Amino acid sequence: MKQDISSLMDGELDGPEAARVIRSCCASEESKDTWNLYHVIGEAMRGHAPATLERRAGLGAALAKEPTVLAPRTRVLETTIGRIALAAAASVATIGVVSWIGTQGAAPDAQPGSVVKATSPALMIQPVAATTSVPAQAPIAAPLDVQDYLTAHRQIPSPEAYRPVANRGAAPAR
Amino acid sequence: MIAARSWGAPRWLPAVALLGAACAAQADPGNDPYAWLKRAAESARTTTYTGTFVHTNGDRTNTIRITHVSAGGDEHERIEPLDGPPQEIVRRNEEMFCYFPDAKTVRLDRRITARFFPSILRSPPESIAASYDVKLGKTERVVGHECRWIRMDPRDSLRFAQRLCSEVGTGLVLRAKTVNEQQQVIEQYTFTDVRLGPQVAKAADVRSTFEARVKQWHTDKQPREEAKSVDTGWTITNPPAGFQKVTEIKRTMPGRAQPVSQIVLSDGIASLSVFVEPNAPPRSAEASSEDGTTTFFVRPMGENLVTVLGEVPLATAQQVGRSVARRP
Repeated sequence: MKQDISSLMDGELDGPEAARVIRSCCASEESKDTWNLYHVIGEAMRGHAPATLERRAGLGAALAKEPTVLAPRTRVLETTIGRIALAAAASVATIGVVSWIGTQGAAPDAQPGSVVKATSPALMIQPVAATTSVPAQAPIAAPLDVQDYLTAHRQIPSPEAYRPVANRGAAPAR
Repeated sequence: MIAARSWGAPRWLPAVALLGAACAAQADPGNDPYAWLKRAAESARTTTYTGTFVHTNGDRTNTIRITHVSAGGDEHERIEPLDGPPQEIVRRNEEMFCYFPDAKTVRLDRRITARFFPSILRSPPESIAASYDVKLGKTERVVGHECRWIRMDPRDSLRFAQRLCSEVGTGLVLRAKTVNEQQQVIEQYTFTDVRLGPQVAKAADVRSTFEARVKQWHTDKQPREEAKSVDTGWTITNPPAGFQKVTEIKRTMPGRAQPVSQIVLSDGIASLSVFVEPNAPPRSAEASSEDGTTTFFVRPMGENLVTVLGEVPLATAQQVGRSVARRP
């Protein structure tokens, strides 16, 4: 069921299949919770502090138990123009950042400094050692900017990433 | 059917000859998959073509217009990404001029690492054979042209499978797919329209269309100077089978006070870059991310931060990242 909900949210199900999942999704409390949880996680992944976070007592534990839901799904490409057009809309800046996502504050049972590792495909989740003062919604560690590395590797520099010469070297340390 | 007749048939040859001297030099590859591979690699350099292709990798999609002219042994190429702010890259052989009209900057660089579709083979077919099992697939019509699929399946789990669709007349790759172990396409280049042959463009056509838009361009020569090989002081002690060092350079990067070392490895198809950043902000653990074929693996190493980035499975990136060491 969880896989179905995840697939539904990713737009991977076609009409009848989607209808079936939507029907069954609201049939049980557990499914409803999963649906809500995945959306909260999705919001967090997109950098929005989920408004529902503090209201969800079980979220931290659920996150700790299910790190794999955070792993970016390898999207199956199709050659249809429709699919490509869809992906085009979401093409900007999805990469360029390797996220460090802390569950501190939201995961009471996570050990400080412990590392929860997503299995496959891997996006590592690193709970930060508890320092108490950080609110649960705040980003825990600065994401690592790898856009410059991507540019250097692919050698197709993006104008957004490109800084004019005048700024080169004078850029403040991160 | 049509294709099968075309291979052996002598009447095919005049058609090839009509495409020009460069194309005529490419022998009929018959049913030898390696000959097909070789011709596909040469064709990207030695044929003239113009068209638009779509590159999809993970969630990212880019549409790119390309004109490539082969004249007098030189390659002239203009690449214009059609998504996002305007930019273009004009390339003459390995020299690249990247125009950013918004920043009024032209950036000079030298091509080293990347897969520039449709030129995606980086080494001779013989060395590719060590890492990939190469077979010929079916012939079908792709973007209005007869195409033969070249199937490259990895001999281990350290790289992805490749599917190249090679146009039967010239050998040019019109579509390229990267496939993971689950047979899912995770990266794709495909022309959406393409015209082939020396009549479609001349070398004089391949020049910046943006140059006249800006009165005074800043010229940034630094990337080109930095593209020269240097001894970075770092080495990969345990490279994955089939991967060899292409080059090592030092890059100045925005926001980084000191130059970053970059070592480029390739197995002939897949490539990866290893970056060693000195005095990086401290990190406490390894991290990784995968999107399409692009894999990141980050590993703190004392005061240095190692970042591996490439079109390879995570295990390959990890193996490389964990075997970075100072050159003895």
